[in-house]
Amino acid sequence: MKAIAFLALLVGLVPFQMTLLGLASLGSIRPDLCLIAAILGGLFAGEWKGLALGIVLGFLQNQFSAGDLWLNLIAKGGSGFVAGRVSLYVTNTSTVTALVVVLGLSTLTGALCLLVGLTDEGWTAGFYQARSILLPEAMYNTVVGAGLYWLLARWLPNGSS
Amino acid sequence: MFRVATGTRRVALVLVAILLLVLFLFPQQSHGLLHSLGQPIARIVAFPLWVLAGINQSLQEAWKGYVALGHVYQENQRLRQDIQSLQSQLNGLRESAASSQRLAALLQFKQNVGLETVAAQVIGQDSTNWHRGLVLDKGERDGIRTGMGVIAPSGVVGRVVKITPVSSVILLITDSNNAVTGLIQRTRDEGIVSGTLQGGVRMKYIPLLSAVRERDVVVTSGLTGEFPKGLLIGTVTLVKKPVDNLFQMAEIIPAVDFSKLEEVLVILSPYSLEVPAEGPAQNLQPR
Repeated sequence: MKAIAFLALLVGLVPFQMTLLGLASLGSIRPDLCLIAAILGGLFAGEWKGLALGIVLGFLQNQFSAGDLWLNLIAKGGSGFVAGRVSLYVTNTSTVTALVVVLGLSTLTGALCLLVGLTDEGWTAGFYQARSILLPEAMYNTVVGAGLYWLLARWLPNGSS
Repeated sequence: MFRVATGTRRVALVLVAILLLVLFLFPQQSHGLLHSLGQPIARIVAFPLWVLAGINQSLQEAWKGYVALGHVYQENQRLRQDIQSLQSQLNGLRESAASSQRLAALLQFKQNVGLETVAAQVIGQDSTNWHRGLVLDKGERDGIRTGMGVIAPSGVVGRVVKITPVSSVILLITDSNNAVTGLIQRTRDEGIVSGTLQGGVRMKYIPLLSAVRERDVVVTSGLTGEFPKGLLIGTVTLVKKPVDNLFQMAEIIPAVDFSKLEEVLVILSPYSLEVPAEGPAQNLQPR
C-alpha cells in the first residue's frame, strides 16, 4: 500500500502541478508541491528518503520546465535532505516546525532559482522577481506545507515513514 | 307501556301531525313554503360552509400532495437527471463546435502559412513559477526538435526548449529569457523582441532614427532560423526614446492571448525558409 501511494505520488504530482494546480493559482503563482512533498518526506521519513524523494520529483519536474535540467533536482533533493536533518535535531517536530522549515527552504530554493535565472537586467529584475515570484511562492508553500503536515501528522501512525 | 302525551308534548305532537298531513296532502305548496323558508337559512349556513369546504379542500390537497410526494420526488429527480444529461450534452456539443472552429482556423492557417508544421495541443503549464512556458502533447516522436518555432493562427507563440519522446516544453515569447528577431512592418526597421518580467513583450535595439510609432505592427524578420519572415508578433503600444541611448525601445502587446491557447503549430520546415511577407502576414493581422 505504501509503495503504491509512493508511486502514485511520483507519477501524479508533477502532472497535477502542471495542470489542475493552475486552478488554485493566486495571481499566477502556484504552490510548489514537489518541494513541499520533498520537505514533508524529509520531516516524516528522514533525510535520506527526503533526499531521494526530492531528487526524483525534482528530476521529473525538470522534464516539464523551461529551466535548467539540474536546478530542481538539486533544490528539491537538498530540501528533502535538510528537512530530514532538521527533524533529527528537533525533539518534537510540529506544525510550527514544518511551517518554519517550509518557509526557510522555499525562500532558499527560490533564491537559488532567482540567482541562476538572472537576466542581463541584473538586480533590478532580481528584486522584481523576488517580490513577484519568490516571496508569494514561499508564502503559498508555507501555508500549504504546514497544512499538509498538520493533516498527515494526524493521519499517519507514529513512526510511519 | 304507552304513555299518554300531556301539555306541551301534546301540542307538539299535534303540530307535527298537521305538518305531515299538509306535506302529504299539498306537496307542491309545502315544497314552495319550505323553499321560501330555507333561502335565508341557506345563506347563513353558506358562509361557514365555504370556510369549511375551503379547509377541507386544502386538507385533501395536502393529503393528496403528501401521498403523491414520493412519486413527485422521484419524477423531480428523474427530470433533474434529464436536465443534467441534456446540459452535459449541450456543453459537449458547444465544446465540439468551439473545438471545430479552432481546428478549422488552425488548418486554414496551416495551409496558408505554407510551412511544414505539426499541430500540437497545449496540455499543461511550466512545472515551476519561474518560467513562462507551456507543455505540448507532441514530442521527439513527432519530429519536434529543440529550438523549433511555435506559432498559432494569431501569431508567434515561442520556441521549443525541451523535448521528450511524447511531449515538449515551449518557452513563450513573453519570457524574459526568450528573444526573436523582429521587423516593424511599416518602417522595415529590425530589432530584438524579447519577453519582460511583467509578462509583456519588448522590442529592443530599434535604430534611433526609426519612425516607429504606436499601433505599428511587428512581425518576425526571418533572420533567426526558427521563424520565417512575416509572422505576426504583436502591435506597438509605447515607444521609448531614451536620450542617452543609441537605440529606441518599443513595448509590444502580443498578438497571441497565451491564457487561452489550446492548439499550436510547431514549425518543422528547414530553418531559413523564406515566405512572402504579404502571404502569412495578411492572415495574421491583430485581432
